[in-house]
Amino acid sequence: MKKQGLLILCFFSLLAFSLSFSANAQQARITGKITDAGTGEGIPGASVLVKGTTRGTVSDLDGNYSIEASSTDVLVFSFIGYTTVEETVGNKTSINLSLSESIQGLNEVVVVGYGTQEKKEITSAVASIKAEDFNQGTVNDPRQLLQGKVAGLNISRPGGNPNGGFNIRLRGISSFGANAEPLIVIDGVIGASLSTVDPNDIETMDVLKDGSAAAIYGTRGSSGVILVTTKSGKKGKAVVEYSGTAATENVARTINVMTADEYRALPGSNDLGSETDWFDAVTKTGVSFVNNLSISGGNEGTSYRMSLNSRNVDGVGINSGFDQLNARLNLTQRALKDKALFTVTISNTTADREFGNDNSFRYAIITNPTLPIYDPNPQSPDFGGYSERDIFDWFNPVSIAEQNINDGRESRLLASIRGEYNFTNNFKAAVFYASQRETFWNGSYSPKTAKFGGGFGRKGLATIQNRESLNDLFEATFNYDKSVGKLDMAFLGGYSYQEFFNQGDFTQAGNFLTDAFTYNNIGAALDFANGLATVTSFANENKLVAFFGRANFNIDDTYLLSISSRYEGSTRFGENNKWGLFPAVSAGVNVANLVDIPKVDAMKVRASFGRTGTQPGESYISLLRYGRQGNFFYNGAFVPSFGPVSNNNPDLSWETKDEFNIGLDFVAFNNRLDGTIDYFTRVTSGMILPINVPVPPNLFPTTLLNIGEVENSGLEVLLNYKAIQKSDFKWSVGVNFSTLATNLRSLSAGDLSFGAVNYRSNFGSPGQNLTQLIRVQENGPLGQIWGPIQIGVDEKGAPIMKVIDGTAKDANGNPVYCNCDADRAQLGTAYPTINFGINNNFNYKNWDFNFFFRGSLGHSLINSYRGFYENTESTTVQNWNVVKTKYFDPNIKKAEYNSSHVEKADFMILDNATIGYNFNVKQGKSIGKIRTFLSVQTPFMFTGYTGVDPSVRYQDPENGDPLAPGIERRATYFTTTITTLGLNLSF
Amino acid sequence: MKKTINFKYFLIGLGLTYFASSCVDLEEEVYSQITSDNFFKTDEEFISALGGAYSSLGGLGNHSGLWSINEIASDEIVVSHKGGDWFDGGVLLQLHQHEFQKDNPFLNNTWNFLFGGINTCNRLIYSFEQLNNANSPAYIAELRALRALYYYWALDAFGNVPIVTDFTSTEKPGNSTRKQVYDFVLKELNEIIPLLSTKRDGTTYGRMTRWSALTIRMKLYLNAEVYTGTPQWTLAATDASTIINSGPYTLNPSYQANFAINNAGSPENIFVYPYDKVFAGGFNWVQMTLHIVSQSTFNLTDQPWNGYQTVEEFYNSYVDPVKNPGTQGPVWKGLAMEQSTGTVDGRLTNFLVGPQKKADGSVLVDPGVEVTDPTGIKGDPNGPPLTFMPFLNEISPGGLRQAGARIAKYEFERGGTPNMSNDFVIFRLSDVILSLAEANFRLGKTTEALALVNQIRARAGGLQPFNTLTADNLLAERGREMYVEMTRRQDLIRFKKYGDAWWPFAGMNRPKKVHAPGSFLEIFPIPQPQILANTNLKQNPGYN
Repeated sequence: MKKQGLLILCFFSLLAFSLSFSANAQQARITGKITDAGTGEGIPGASVLVKGTTRGTVSDLDGNYSIEASSTDVLVFSFIGYTTVEETVGNKTSINLSLSESIQGLNEVVVVGYGTQEKKEITSAVASIKAEDFNQGTVNDPRQLLQGKVAGLNISRPGGNPNGGFNIRLRGISSFGANAEPLIVIDGVIGASLSTVDPNDIETMDVLKDGSAAAIYGTRGSSGVILVTTKSGKKGKAVVEYSGTAATENVARTINVMTADEYRALPGSNDLGSETDWFDAVTKTGVSFVNNLSISGGNEGTSYRMSLNSRNVDGVGINSGFDQLNARLNLTQRALKDKALFTVTISNTTADREFGNDNSFRYAIITNPTLPIYDPNPQSPDFGGYSERDIFDWFNPVSIAEQNINDGRESRLLASIRGEYNFTNNFKAAVFYASQRETFWNGSYSPKTAKFGGGFGRKGLATIQNRESLNDLFEATFNYDKSVGKLDMAFLGGYSYQEFFNQGDFTQAGNFLTDAFTYNNIGAALDFANGLATVTSFANENKLVAFFGRANFNIDDTYLLSISSRYEGSTRFGENNKWGLFPAVSAGVNVANLVDIPKVDAMKVRASFGRTGTQPGESYISLLRYGRQGNFFYNGAFVPSFGPVSNNNPDLSWETKDEFNIGLDFVAFNNRLDGTIDYFTRVTSGMILPINVPVPPNLFPTTLLNIGEVENSGLEVLLNYKAIQKSDFKWSVGVNFSTLATNLRSLSAGDLSFGAVNYRSNFGSPGQNLTQLIRVQENGPLGQIWGPIQIGVDEKGAPIMKVIDGTAKDANGNPVYCNCDADRAQLGTAYPTINFGINNNFNYKNWDFNFFFRGSLGHSLINSYRGFYENTESTTVQNWNVVKTKYFDPNIKKAEYNSSHVEKADFMILDNATIGYNFNVKQGKSIGKIRTFLSVQTPFMFTGYTGVDPSVRYQDPENGDPLAPGIERRATYFTTTITTLGLNLSF
Repeated sequence: MKKTINFKYFLIGLGLTYFASSCVDLEEEVYSQITSDNFFKTDEEFISALGGAYSSLGGLGNHSGLWSINEIASDEIVVSHKGGDWFDGGVLLQLHQHEFQKDNPFLNNTWNFLFGGINTCNRLIYSFEQLNNANSPAYIAELRALRALYYYWALDAFGNVPIVTDFTSTEKPGNSTRKQVYDFVLKELNEIIPLLSTKRDGTTYGRMTRWSALTIRMKLYLNAEVYTGTPQWTLAATDASTIINSGPYTLNPSYQANFAINNAGSPENIFVYPYDKVFAGGFNWVQMTLHIVSQSTFNLTDQPWNGYQTVEEFYNSYVDPVKNPGTQGPVWKGLAMEQSTGTVDGRLTNFLVGPQKKADGSVLVDPGVEVTDPTGIKGDPNGPPLTFMPFLNEISPGGLRQAGARIAKYEFERGGTPNMSNDFVIFRLSDVILSLAEANFRLGKTTEALALVNQIRARAGGLQPFNTLTADNLLAERGREMYVEMTRRQDLIRFKKYGDAWWPFAGMNRPKKVHAPGSFLEIFPIPQPQILANTNLKQNPGYN
C-alpha cells in the first residue's frame, strides 16, 4: 500500500502544479477547400488540426472542411503522401489551399521516445516497421513480426518451442548483464511486457537503434529501444474487422542418427529386438487456431478500438502448447473545449500453457533404435509400462513428455491513463500513469512411475511456483513549440518515476501415497513430515527516477539539430553513484534541398552521438547481504545460520555506452528506390560482471563490479526498390543487411581481472564437465570458440589432438598434447559477420504474393550432439544410439570435444511465403473487404550445418551466459514448418 | 483574489517540497535477505552468527573440494575416466597423476572453502569483540580454534598462504611462508587451549573443544618436519598422550559404529561436522562413489554418479596375508570372478566389492556394461550383473564401469537421499593413538609404539598383532585405519612416499619415481583465480 500511496502523491503534486496555469481565447469558424496542387481536384479525407491541440476535422468528399479556431491559432493541413502545410488563422474566415505530393516516405510519422517526428526530421538511426511490412503466417509473439526486417536487429529462437522465448540483440553485444535485450515501450509504458500485446493489435514498431535516439531512456537504453504502438480508433463509422487462421505445424529439422539396421550393424551393439523411430514417437502434428476480432470508430469527441484475440496453439512436442486470450481497449476522449485529451488503454491477457519437455527431444536423439517404447514385460510396471533402462543419463523420451505434467498459467494486466492539456497553441503538458500487473503460476508433477523428473526416486514429486511482478509508472511531460522565421523549435521536458516489485514462492515435495492428486494437493506429500520438502519465497523491489529534456531545431527542413538528456537515478546503483547523466546530440542536413543531384529526389546526411546506460539486472547487489547458510548444531539441536552472500560495493554504477552513428537516407529514381545506410561504433564500459575478489579482506569470493570495455561497430543497409509499378502488376523488393565487428578492449578493473585468457561455459555430463569452450580474451573479438584441433585417430579410437605448445613431454621426451590452454586454438566465431533479409512483394490484379528470406553468414556452432554421441565408444554403443552425420567416422571411439565438433553454421531460410486473394466487393454491401491467404513459414533452409538449428546462439541456452555464445545444446527443440490458411474480413 | 494566489503558491510549495523529499528517493528496501543493519541484535542471532563459522565445514563432504584434492592426489582414491564418463577436462586425472594445474577448479573451490571459513571467523571474532558481552570471550576462543583448523588445512594444502586476522583491514594480503603460518597457528592454539571447554556432551558436540584444539596442535607437531624442516616428535607425543590420558574419549568397540548413520554417540569421535539429510545437507559420497544402478540396491531417491574408486593396491593392503596377517577367509580380489582367500580384516566394511544385488535380493544388472565386441575390444569380465571388482584396468580413457572397490566407510541409508545423515568425522581417538605410536616410533620407543598399533589392530577384528614395527607397516596400518579420512596425502608426504608411482597406471608413460621427497608438488599451486584477484599473492614455487 505504501508504494501506491507514494505514486499517487507524486501524481497529484504535479497535477496541482500543472493546473495552476490556465489560458483563454476567442473562437471563430473557418471554412475552405483543400486541393491537389497537381490536378486541382479536391482531396477528400485530408486532416485539418488546430496546432497544439487535439481539435481537428477531416475534409469531405470534395475536399471542403469547416473548423472552429481563434485568430492566434495555426491550422495544420495534412494528408498521406502530401507535404504538410501550416497556416496562421489571423483575421481570415476562409482558407483555401493546395497540397503537393510529397517525396516517398519523408512525411511518414516515426515514433521516437516521448513523441513522434516526420521521417525527414529524424537525425538519428530509427527504423520504423508498419503492420503491412510485418512477417506473415502464424505469429504468436510480437518479436517474430520483426525477425529479419531491421538491419542490425537480430532476433532468434532456436527450435520450435511454442512456449520458448526469442533472443533479441541490437547492434551486437552492448552488455554482458541480464539486460542485453532492447527496452520495450508499449504506448509509452516503459518496460512493459510484450506479452501484453497481441501481434494483431500492433500498428507500428519503431526501433531506436543508435545512442542518440535511445539516450532519452537513460539507464535502460544501451541495448536499444523498441517502441510498440497499438492500433487505435479513427473518427468515422464503426469498423468491424475479423481475421482467423488455422495452421498445422510439422517437424522440419532434427539431427541424423542411425537407423535400427545401421545400429545393429555396429560392433558391440545392443539389439533389444524392436524397431522404433524415436523422433516420430516424441512429436506430432501441431494444430493452431488464431481468431482476432476488433471494433473501432469514433466521433468528434471520442474514438475507440476494442479487440479480442484468441490463440490456441499446439506444438509439435507431446503435451506442449498454449491457449491465450487477450482483450484490449484503446479509448481517446477530448474535453474542456477540446483543450484536454484523455487516453485510456487497458489490456488483459491470460495464457494457459503446457510446457512439454525439451529433454524428450534430447533423449530421442540418443535412444537405442531397437528399444520398444513400451515394456513388453507386463511384470515390470515400475515405470508405468514404458521401457526404461538402468543406465546413466538416459530416460525414455516418450515417458518424459507423457508422464510428467508441467503446466503454467499467466495473467497480465496493463492499464494506462494519459491526460494532456493544451494551455496555449504551443504549450501543452501531460501526465501519464501506467500499471502492469503480471502473475505467473506453474505446477508440475512427476508421478511415481516417471524415471525422469524425480518422480520415481521421490515416490511422486510435485512442484508449485507463483510469481507476481508489478510495474508502476508515473510521468509528467510538457511540450513547447516556437517558430522564429525559418527556424522551428520544439522543446520537451519531463519527470519519470517508476517502481518495480516482484515476489514469489516455490514449493516442492515428494513421497505421495497416490499419483491421483498430481500438483493439486501438495500437502499430501510425506516429505513435509520428514522435513524433506523445499519451500522458499522472495520479494524485491527497485525504483527509477528521472528528469529528461529534448530540444529540436529545424531550419526550413534543411538543417536539423536535436539535443537531449536524461538524468536518471536507480535504487540498484551503489550509494556513491545513485544518479547518472545521459546526453545526446544529433544533426542532419537535407542535402537535396541545397543542391540538385541527378535522379535523387531526397537525400539527408546525419551524424549523432549518444550516451546510454544499462542498470544492474538485479536489486540489492551493491549491498552487503547475509543469507541463510544451512544450520548449526547447537546444544543438541539445529539452529539456522546466516552468512554473507555478497560484498558491499557502494561504487556500483550503470554500464555506460557511448555511440557514434553516421547515416544517409535517400530517395531516388522518381521515388522508386529508397534506402538508409548507417555506420556505428559504440563503446560500452564499466560492464557489470561478477569477478573473483580475495577473501579476506572481502566477505564473499565474488563481487559485481563495473569492469572492462567492449567495442562494437557495424554497417547497416536497407534498400527498397519498386521494380514494377503497373496498375495491375506491382513488384517491389527490399533488402537489408548488417555487419558486426566486436572487440573486447579490456576485461579488468584496477588490478582485478579475469586474466589474459578466461574460458566460459562447460560441455557437460557425461564425462565432459570442466571442458572449456568459449574463450574470452582482452583485445580480441567476443564469441571465440576454442578447443583442441583434431588431427587423427589413434589405435584405441581416441582423437589425436594437435600439439601446439610442445612443452609437455612424455616419458621419452617427445612433445605430447597437454590438455591445457597452450594446446587449444580458435575453431570458429559465434557471431555472424553478416545478417540479411530479402523481401519480395508482388501484386497481380486481386492476387498478392510475398516471400521473405533471411539468413546469417560467418558464424559457427558447437554441435553438442556430435560432441557426445557421434562415436562408437563401447559404452556409447551399448547404452545409446549413435549420431551419424556426414562427418561420421567409425574409427572414433571416444567422446572428447575437439575441432571436428565445431561447424560453420551459415544459413539462409525462407522465413515466410504468402499468397493472398482479395475478393471484389460491391460498393454499398455491408462487407468492406474479404481476403484469404495461404502462408508457409520456414519450409526450407539452406545450410551445411548438421545439427538441429543453425540459428545464432547469442547466449548459452543452459545458463544464459552472454559471454558463452555459439553452443547448440542437446535439449534443443526440433525446428518446425508451419502452414497457415487465413481469412480477413472487414465490415 | 490575493488569498487564492497565496494558497496556490502554498500548494505549489508543498507539492515541490514533497516531491523533493520523496519522489527522488532512491533508498533500497530489502525484503527477503538480511543486511548488517538488521542483524546481530539478539542472543539467538549471536548463536546463529556463530553457526556461520561452523556451517562452512559442510563443504567437506562433497565432490570437488578439500576432501577430493587430498584423497585423489593420494594412493587411496582414483576417479578413472570411464568411457564417455568422468573425463571432465582431465582435472581428476591431473590430480591423481600429480600434474597439478593452477587453473584446476577443485583447487579454487578448496581455497574459497578455507578462506571463506577463515574470514567468517575473523568477522565473528571482530563482532563479538565489539559486542563484548558475557559470552564473548568463550565464543572468541572457540572461533580462534576453528580458524586455526582452517589455517592448518590451508598450510597443509597450499603452504605459503596469507595470514589475516584483522577483519577491518581492507588490504589485499600477501603470502606468508609455510613456517610463518605454522608458527601463527601454533601461537593461536597455545593461547586459546586453556580457554576452551573440556566437556564432551551435547553442548560441545560438533564444536571446538580443548581436545579438538589439542588434536590440531598434535598434527602440527607430527608434520612439523614437513612444514618447517624441524621435527617435533616429543611435543606431538605429549599432546597425543594428554588427549588419550586426560580426554573423555575411548575407542569404540565397533570400528563401524564411528561411521554409522547414527554415529552421534560414538565415544571415539573428537570433532565431527554433524550432517543431516534434513538440516545439514551436502554429504553425498553415496552419489560420488556408487554405480548408477546401485540406486536399486539402496532404494536411493537419486541416481549415483559412478565416480570415486579405491586404488587396487590400497585395497589389497587389507587382504594381503603377509602385509596384514590375520584370519584367512573368503575375500574378493582382482577381477572378483570368485572369492579367493585372504585376510578378513574387520575394516573391509570400508569397501563395497563383489556382486551387487537389488534391495529385494535379486540380481542387479548394469545394462550399459562394456561387452567384448567382435573387433576384440576388451569388455567387462563380469558382464552385465553389477560386480564391483578391486581390479582397475586403466585410468583413461577406457576405465571399466564396474572397476574399483567403492567407498562404503560411512553407512548408506536405505531409501536415502543424496544428503547423508552420518556425521563427518574430522578427528577421532584412533588417529591420536596411531600418531602417538608414530611419534614414539620416530623417537626410538619401538615397544610402546608397537603396543599402540596392535591396540588398533585388535579393535579392527580378524587380525594378528604385528611382531615388529617398521615405517612401512606403520604407514600401511594408518592407511587401513584412516582410509578416506583425509590423512593419507599428509601421511604419504611424511613417510616420503608421496612421489611414488603407486600403481602402474598412475605412472603410465612416466618414470617409476614421479617426484622425490621435498618436491614442490607436495603443496598444491595457489589457484589462478586467487592470483588474478589479489596482485599481492605470489604463486608457489615450481608452478609458474
